[in-house]
Amino acid sequence: MPTVEKKLKTIKGFGPGIVSDNVKSHANDPFFIKKLEEATQTLKRVGLPDQKK
Amino acid sequence: MNLERYPYNNSNDFQDYEFYSDGPKGRIKKVVMFTKIPNSEPPIYNLGFGDQDPHSGETDDVVVSNNEDRDIVLATVANTIIEFCNHYGNHYIYAKGSTTARTRLYQMGIAGLWDEISKDFDVYGLKDDAWHVFEPNTINYDAFLVKQK
Repeated sequence: MPTVEKKLKTIKGFGPGIVSDNVKSHANDPFFIKKLEEATQTLKRVGLPDQKK
Repeated sequence: MNLERYPYNNSNDFQDYEFYSDGPKGRIKKVVMFTKIPNSEPPIYNLGFGDQDPHSGETDDVVVSNNEDRDIVLATVANTIIEFCNHYGNHYIYAKGSTTARTRLYQMGIAGLWDEISKDFDVYGLKDDAWHVFEPNTINYDAFLVKQK
């Protein structure tokens, strides 16, 4: 008999998440390290809105 | 903001968030991480967002998952921004896709939900190394800055 996987339920509107010890830091993930480096370089160059560099 | 979104889990420090996209391609684990830009004052946080490979555990945002739930995923990410700001304060959040196509997808997603997003967020788009107030369906921006109102 085929198994029927239930669809994930969605929620309407803002609400907090569930704090979980299973969610580990991704600070050492190369993807996030690279993204942070790129963002740092861009923001160093362009600054913030209405902030002249 | 009153948009349909996925439930999510987050780390104790509210910097890491995980949820599942659910669609024709199955369940795909999504990861959101907020990281402070070093030495930024006022503080600016980078929003990193991608799919986590179930086998390698590696994250990337190059694969287009085509799970037909873009708006729900984007609303979930927006929800994590609100939750993050509730704990860390209303700071600028920087976001950019890994590719031009991915950044364009982000822009289309923001534009599609603009009526709701603009109620809660100030959004800026980067073009030619200058920030502009985000206007949906105009130029293609290179990156985005978001700040909760």
